[in-house]
Amino acid sequence: MKLTDQSSQQYRRLWWFASRGLAAVAAVLLIAAVIGAPSGLQNLFNGLAIGGVYAIFALGYTLIFSILRIINFAHGAIFTLGAYFTYFLTGAAVGFNGLLANQKLPFGLPFPLAMIGGGILAGLCGIFIERVAFRPLRNKGADPLLTLVSSLGVAVAIVNIIQLLVGAEIYSYPRNPFGEMPAALNLGNFGGLTARPIIIRTIQVIIFGVSMVTVVLLTYFINGTKTGKALRAVAEDATTSSLLGINTNRLILITFFLSGLVGGIAGTLVGLSVNVSGPYFGINFGLKGLAVIVLGGLGDIPGAVVGGLVIGVAESFVPSEYVAYKEAIAFAVLFVVLLLRPQGLLGRVVVQKV
Amino acid sequence: MALLEIENLSVNYGGIQALQALSLSIAQGEVVTLIGANGAGKSTTLRAISRIVNARQGRILFEGKDISRLSPHEVVRLGVAHSPEGRRVLTRQSVYDNLMLGAYIRNDTANIKADIDLQFKRFPRLQERRNQLAGTLSGGEQQMLAIARALMSRPRLLLLDEPSLGLAPLIVREIFSIIRELHAEGVTILLVEQNASLALQNADRGYVLEAGILTITGKSSELLDDDRVRQAYLG
Repeated sequence: MKLTDQSSQQYRRLWWFASRGLAAVAAVLLIAAVIGAPSGLQNLFNGLAIGGVYAIFALGYTLIFSILRIINFAHGAIFTLGAYFTYFLTGAAVGFNGLLANQKLPFGLPFPLAMIGGGILAGLCGIFIERVAFRPLRNKGADPLLTLVSSLGVAVAIVNIIQLLVGAEIYSYPRNPFGEMPAALNLGNFGGLTARPIIIRTIQVIIFGVSMVTVVLLTYFINGTKTGKALRAVAEDATTSSLLGINTNRLILITFFLSGLVGGIAGTLVGLSVNVSGPYFGINFGLKGLAVIVLGGLGDIPGAVVGGLVIGVAESFVPSEYVAYKEAIAFAVLFVVLLLRPQGLLGRVVVQKV
Repeated sequence: MALLEIENLSVNYGGIQALQALSLSIAQGEVVTLIGANGAGKSTTLRAISRIVNARQGRILFEGKDISRLSPHEVVRLGVAHSPEGRRVLTRQSVYDNLMLGAYIRNDTANIKADIDLQFKRFPRLQERRNQLAGTLSGGEQQMLAIARALMSRPRLLLLDEPSLGLAPLIVREIFSIIRELHAEGVTILLVEQNASLALQNADRGYVLEAGILTITGKSSELLDDDRVRQAYLG
C-alpha cells in the first residue's frame, strides 16, 4: 500500500464531513422552506409533475448520448411531433391553415391509446432520423461532432414540414382525456401544517404517474432484458459488442426508437398540461432537456431523472410575478451545481485510463 | 477442407501496410499460433478475420464460405469467437452478465445455463465472483472471463489474442493449461502470442510474422528448433 500524507488524509476526511453536513443542512432548510412557504407543497407537487416530464424527455437525450456520445439536436422536434401525432390519433381535425387543413383521421383512438400511438410514431421518426442524419456520417467515418449539424438540420426541416402541413396554430387536446374526473384534488391542509389547503390539478397527478411509469419500464428494459444488456454493452464498448455477435447498428436503431418514444410521450404530456403551441413547441423544451442531463450527469439514467425533478421543482418555486424568469432560474440552478460538481449531480468523475 | 483458409490477405491502416499478402490455413481441431514482434500484424490478422478491420484485398474462407465482406456480428453467428487483446470485458456488468452476453447469438436458454456452469467449473474463480462487476476483477480473472465469454457462443474457431499479456507467470501457466484442455476437447484455436516459446509449446503449428509478411511456417517442434526463430524470438 502506498503511504498517504497524514495531513492530506485528515483534510479529506474533514472535507467529506463538511460537505455532507452542508448538504444535510441545505436539505433541511429546503424542506422547511417548502412546507413553510405560502403554497410550498403545492409548488412542490406542480414541480414534480413538470419535472417528471423533463426527466423522461431528457432520458431520450441520455439514451443516445450513452451509445453515440453525441447529442441528438432533433430531439426537441421529436417532442413536438409526438404531441401532434397524439392530437391527430384522437381523431381531432387539423385547423384552417396548412396543406392538410380541416383533414382528420377516419377514426379516433381513446386518449391513452393515442398517447402510446403518438409515442410509437415519434419513435419511428427517431429511427428515420438515425438513418438520414447519423448513420450515413458514421459509415463514412466522419467526426461524430458533424452529426450535431445534421441533426439540427433535420430538426429545422421537421419544424417547417409541420408548419407546411398543419399550420402554426395552437392545438388543444380534448377535455377530460381520461374520462370524467374531478379537475382537482383537495388534499386539505395536513392538519394545519400548511397555511392554505393543498389543491393539485388531477392532470398533474396523471402526468407525474405516466412519467414515473415510463422511467420504471425503461429502467427495467435496460437492466433486466437481454436486449437492454446488449444496449449497455454497446454503450460501453461497441467494437467488443460486435465481437459477441451483437448487431450494433440494430441496437442503435432500437435506441433511437426508445429515445423518440419517450420524447413523444413527453410532448404529449406537456400538451396535456398546457396545449400544443405550434411547430416551435419543442424548441425551449429541447434546451431545458440539455440543462437537465448536464445537471444530472451525462449518460446516466438516474441522473436524468434527478436532474429533471430538481429543475422542475426549482422552477415551480418561482413566484408568479417573476414567471418570466423561470428559464433563468433553471439555468442558474444548473450554473451553481456545475460550479460545485462539474460532473453533474450523480455523474462520476471519468478516469481516463492510458 | 480447412476450417479457415486465408488467401493473399492485405490490410492497410491509413497509408501503412499492416499485413501483406498473408495466406494461412487451419484444420479442424488444430491449435495454430501466430508469433512475431510488436506491430508485426498478428492482432491485425485476427481483427481482419473478425471483420473489425477491413481487408484491402484477399479472401477469408470459413468452412468454405468467404466471410471477408460480412459484418462482425455475422461472423460470430457463423461460429468464430474472438477473445480480444486487452481482454475488453464489459467492466460495468457482472461476470454472469458478461457470460450471458457471450451467448448473445444463442436462444437455447437451458443449454446456455448449462454452459455457464461448465465455464464456472473450468474457471472456479469466476464462479466465486459471478455477481461482481467485471471491472473489479484482477487482470488474470478478466482474461479468464474473456476466454469463457468467447466460449459461450460455442465457437467452431476460437481466436485468442495475447492471453498472457501483462499477467503474472503463475496466472499465465493457468491460462495455458486451459488452452491445452480446450485443445484436448477438440476446439480449434488460432493463438496470437508474444511469448513465442510458450505459444509454440502449446500449438501444433506456427506461423512467424515479420512487419506484415509471413516469413517462416512449420510444425511447432520444427520452429522451436529453427535457428532463426530461436535467435529472434526465443532468446
